[in-house]
Amino acid sequence: MADDPYAALGVPKTASEADIKKAYRRIAKTDHPDLTADTAAHDRFKAASAAYDLLKDPEQRARFDRGEIDAQGQERPQRRYYRDFAEAGDNPYRGQSNYGDFSDVFEDLFGGRARPGAGGPRGFQGGGAGSFDMRGSDHRYTLEVDFMTAARGGTTRITLPDGHALDVQIPAGTRDGQTIRLRGQGGPGMGNADAGDALLTITVADDPDWRRNGDDVVTTLPITLDEAVLGGKVEAQTIDGPVMLTVPRGASSGQRLRLRGRGLKRANGTRGDQHVELKIVMPPRIDDALAEFIANWRADNAYDPRRGQQ
Amino acid sequence: MTARAEHPMTRAEILEALPDLTDEELDALIRTGAVLPVASAAGPLFRGIDVARLRLILELEDFYALDGERLALVMSLIDQLNGLRGDMRAMLQAVAAEEPETRARLRRVIRETRVTITRED
Repeated sequence: MADDPYAALGVPKTASEADIKKAYRRIAKTDHPDLTADTAAHDRFKAASAAYDLLKDPEQRARFDRGEIDAQGQERPQRRYYRDFAEAGDNPYRGQSNYGDFSDVFEDLFGGRARPGAGGPRGFQGGGAGSFDMRGSDHRYTLEVDFMTAARGGTTRITLPDGHALDVQIPAGTRDGQTIRLRGQGGPGMGNADAGDALLTITVADDPDWRRNGDDVVTTLPITLDEAVLGGKVEAQTIDGPVMLTVPRGASSGQRLRLRGRGLKRANGTRGDQHVELKIVMPPRIDDALAEFIANWRADNAYDPRRGQQ
Repeated sequence: MTARAEHPMTRAEILEALPDLTDEELDALIRTGAVLPVASAAGPLFRGIDVARLRLILELEDFYALDGERLALVMSLIDQLNGLRGDMRAMLQAVAAEEPETRARLRRVIRETRVTITRED
């Protein structure tokens, strides 16, 4: 921002708090990046809001006036304006566009995109008012569920914007982006018509332990050094709970073991697979005995896993 | 300020990030649908777009003393404008990738339907 916050707001140093606020509002009204496309205006707004942030606080302002802090100290991290998000094709707040005679052309060019649909924010969409029977509008929400709830299925209790709580059944094998329709949970109908539906678009939250690959799931199984060398039975987590998994003798990190039918449920009722990726974890402390044994072992058994690599 | 956080913000986090926003105001904005946070078992989650929208709403309320239906109208217009701008950008990008002859044809049609040429004699 400019070195002089007073100049950025166009007020004298003696300006009152009210004057400063007024000056800021005046600039914001004409130069706010969400309200104008003029980039010079954006710079003016940025400078003015940084200046306002500094000067609106009497204590900070006094410190600045005394020269204890400079204007740069107030630089705030780059703000992301609404338009940065709102121009995207999947803006959930945008209603449907209507291009009259050219609707077909529009659909041809822009159709099929992830459009939250005709919903738009409720009450924020000027639905046609009338005294006839009209089905209530569908309300669209986004619902985030954790990986396990989506994979196993289950019930998630949510609070709708109007304040009432609702238990939502999440079917087993729900995928990111899938929609669940709750009949009659949308806007009230007019006259004798039915209420609309609530449409919940499901977002499956990332889980550090579970990754999805199509219908398959991928997990990482930490194993000990001795389990890697000798092989053995190790407990592994699956969507359905723990199972005993046979780690082969001489297992390596990155090696994948497949558990058939332990993946996500498909629409036809069958299931994908689970891939368990092994990860050898060293003991917390390498004692002398282990180090000595390995040193001796290396003398006779040296091998090069990097052979052939650059 | 952490408005750009990849992680959606919880209710407590958004109230902290936007000191001008009160508990009741946030409830009211959610109830009217001015902002539509993601529902989750742990309560509402605010994505980047929700945070940016809330911030703009607070500013519009402050700058223009807007509330309720007036705010709804302005936000609806802003949403339409942003959507159209995004569509326009996509369209221009598609046109820019076309051959010069195609662009010339398009230019002729656009001039006929959209551009008024004033001639000074």
